[in-house]
Amino acid sequence: MTLTRAILPLALVLAMALWGFTALRLLPWAQWPALPWQVDAMSVPQILLSYGAMPRGAIALLAGAALGLAGALMQAVLRNPLADPTTLGTAAGAQLALVAATIFTPGLLVTSHLPVAFAGSALTTVLVIWLGARRDFAPVTVTIAGLLVGLMAAAIATALTLSQGHYLLSLIMWNGGALTQTDWRGVWRLAACLVPAVILAAVLARPLMALSLGDAQARALGVRLAGLRGATLVLAVALSALVSAELGLIGFVGLAAPALARSLGARSPLQRLMLAPIAGAVILSLADGVLMATASLGGPSLPTGALTGLIGGPLLLWLLPRMTAQVPGRVEQGVQTAGRARQPGRVIGSLALVTLALVLGLLLLGRGPAGWGLVPSALWADFLPLRATALLAAMSAGALLAMAGAVLQRLTANPMAAPEVLGVTGGAALGYAAVVFLLAAPGIMALALGAATGGALALTGLAAYALRHDMAPARLLLAGLAIGALASAVLAAIMASDDRRAWVVLGWMSGTTAQVTPATALALAGLALGILTLLLLAARWLEIMPLGSAVGQALGLPLIWARLALVLLAGLATGAATLLVGPVSFVGLMAPHLARSLGLMRPHHALCGSAVIGAALMGLATFGTRTLSYPYDLPLGLMATLIGAPWLFILLLRK
Amino acid sequence: MVTAGPQGLTRRACLVAAAMAVVTGWAPRVRAQGVAPRVAAIDWAMAETALALDHAPAAIAELLRFRPLAPLPPAPATVDLGLRGAPNIEALSLVAPDVILSSNYYAFIEDRLATLAPVFSRTIYVPREAPFPRVMTLLAELAEVLGRPADGLRAQEAAHVRLDGLARRLSGHADRPFLLIEIGDARHVRIFGDDSLFGGTLTAMGLRNAWSEGTRFAFAAPVPLERLAAFPDARLILLGEVPPHVTRALRDAALWNALPPVRHGRLHRLPALNGFGGMPTALRFADALTGALAT
Repeated sequence: MTLTRAILPLALVLAMALWGFTALRLLPWAQWPALPWQVDAMSVPQILLSYGAMPRGAIALLAGAALGLAGALMQAVLRNPLADPTTLGTAAGAQLALVAATIFTPGLLVTSHLPVAFAGSALTTVLVIWLGARRDFAPVTVTIAGLLVGLMAAAIATALTLSQGHYLLSLIMWNGGALTQTDWRGVWRLAACLVPAVILAAVLARPLMALSLGDAQARALGVRLAGLRGATLVLAVALSALVSAELGLIGFVGLAAPALARSLGARSPLQRLMLAPIAGAVILSLADGVLMATASLGGPSLPTGALTGLIGGPLLLWLLPRMTAQVPGRVEQGVQTAGRARQPGRVIGSLALVTLALVLGLLLLGRGPAGWGLVPSALWADFLPLRATALLAAMSAGALLAMAGAVLQRLTANPMAAPEVLGVTGGAALGYAAVVFLLAAPGIMALALGAATGGALALTGLAAYALRHDMAPARLLLAGLAIGALASAVLAAIMASDDRRAWVVLGWMSGTTAQVTPATALALAGLALGILTLLLLAARWLEIMPLGSAVGQALGLPLIWARLALVLLAGLATGAATLLVGPVSFVGLMAPHLARSLGLMRPHHALCGSAVIGAALMGLATFGTRTLSYPYDLPLGLMATLIGAPWLFILLLRK
Repeated sequence: MVTAGPQGLTRRACLVAAAMAVVTGWAPRVRAQGVAPRVAAIDWAMAETALALDHAPAAIAELLRFRPLAPLPPAPATVDLGLRGAPNIEALSLVAPDVILSSNYYAFIEDRLATLAPVFSRTIYVPREAPFPRVMTLLAELAEVLGRPADGLRAQEAAHVRLDGLARRLSGHADRPFLLIEIGDARHVRIFGDDSLFGGTLTAMGLRNAWSEGTRFAFAAPVPLERLAAFPDARLILLGEVPPHVTRALRDAALWNALPPVRHGRLHRLPALNGFGGMPTALRFADALTGALAT
């Protein structure tokens, strides 16, 4: 107990000791400049200390405090212990807005980054909150919606980055969240905003306490709910945008700080709102202190945001088992839509026919130097094998992702379940990156092996974790997202290294069919058929599972093994498809929903329908990548995201 | 005069000719053998080297961004092949090249390229290894491939002469080391080490690169601005444009303004150059450097 209480002061002392160590290595105490500073009379090490190390130490404290407060505010108002600027898509929105502004309207950024960052943050947060409101702010659904919106924003930002080489370096450093400072202006700006923010938060603490009793009680106590929620969220988003604009993406401090405050015994909203900024300041200072000391000893200078991201994944995993007591016992409900089709076989048949016609059209139609048109028959021998290979591979990947999505949505009874949520894509990305960096000139097979191994490792970890916690579906999804967050943190650090090889990884991450050989395409198609067969054999499990574990057990289902087998199948399908499509795609989310809205309800119908729809969607996506900006192939993952993202919103908007 | 006999036209060229009758604009020109080989360049250093040999590639990847950076202008009719890392195979096969120029960067698509035409690939940019000698050798190697070995030697000779001439004009500046940087944001720079084309050119001109440890990072590393303070004597050479918000931030930054080279006016600006270029970029860099220091 006393040890828990001592954590915060001890960590603060450690952070200060690390800072002091770095500062004294830079300049012995005797030579530290006296106040007031005269820049012209100072030596370079003195400037480095007083305009580099000192503001850096201060900004770590302030930014940590701002993020901690933002996280605490979000958690209080949403009554969701998983809410923070990272999980609500706030930070990703700022990133997207800043990337877009850097590329298209650099003039907007001349005076300050803050308005642009705030606009982006507010946009994504409002989107997530709006979507969450439709589901009564159920924590897991809100978090998943937030992370998906974040994924989408990041995907678009990646594609924009890829399309421009110009200001790339600043984007890369920005993504990584570097705390390096060259003057005190950032510190003053943060401080000037943080002080009124803390006061405002203190004022909001009482009504937030009333809110924690529930909406009805709060209303009875005279709290104006809409106004309170709006004010709190605006404050939290502004704090997060401020940090984004000054320093870049620093993930998960807003999640960790309130968690630490809670575990230190902060019970009332006021205690949490006041303790969380302190905890955040200590956490970020400690992380930055470690990095400064490492760099000072001659180690690599990593951006701080990459390190906090590394801590974030495990932290989410640690928080999950402790969530139950804090989450309202509301079931995260699925959508019930259109009635069952009377002749599902016929529906699937027509779907297949439409897809076949689509394939023919996509093979022949295209764009050349002279514009749109059909491929002349003389060029068939050259063009059709190319296009057929790309199409086959993409459609197989689409079918695989769709089946994985269908299985996951049934398994977890959660309409937001999607393969990218499983963390398999993140693991595969890490494996791919490892091969790119370890081998001098890796071939396709080596890359495929690397990605498959990475995906399998992530899946094994996930399965082990999930088995220990009885595979509770919502937790499984969040654990997958946590693995994904970990992977993206490592990838951000890789990008920040500005190695030429990072481009290869970046290119793959947005997806491309350019490297597919006919053999790979056929193998992928074979895999898709194989997995479909296996899943059809397991259709009975899928029928029973959404009814709940009690029913399953009563019917004699080997619950744990059935879940494990299904998760592994979904993971395998995702990993294989990820190799081709890259880590982000919404096909796995969309296809099962489309199938359901066509009335394909029984598992075997839903599986077949999803697979066909997924294949068709991916086929359309390849066509888009090939033609929209000819001769520059667009990333396949980006096209899939652009087709899929609007669907995500429609889906979440429907009650 | 070479007539198009049975061996004179490739199968692909025949097909393409037929195609042209069906849809104009989709098909490339028909070409007899014996004429200079048609070249498609995926790698920019290769494209520049081909241009230096006066052999304009029929197609270049990422032409949109290559054009403004290229020291020697590509032909107006050059075909754009799309992204360097993922060239458009359809566009490439329409070009029907006799040889495709690539490098170690694109090793992962080489098998794919080889199905269309023979690939000539060389390792040019590798971390911790000097690209300058490779770029020089490339002139001769590519000339060999294009069937004009004499031109390669002539181009090498011309490059040496040009560099030596510029080096003589800069010999008065050899007293201080040079720091070649590119501004990333207000807090980070890229520093070009000896394993960059610019660092190598500097050394070839008898000047000193202050950034000897560039080998510890990749050849162009994002380095915190404060690291520049370790080189108070250096001349600071700023490559490329600086984004507007960074210009503003640097104007007020205490550390930047306190850097001895900035304070004492030893900061020189060069235009944006192709960091992964060939000998033409090296010469243009040398030219621009001489011009900047002379004023």
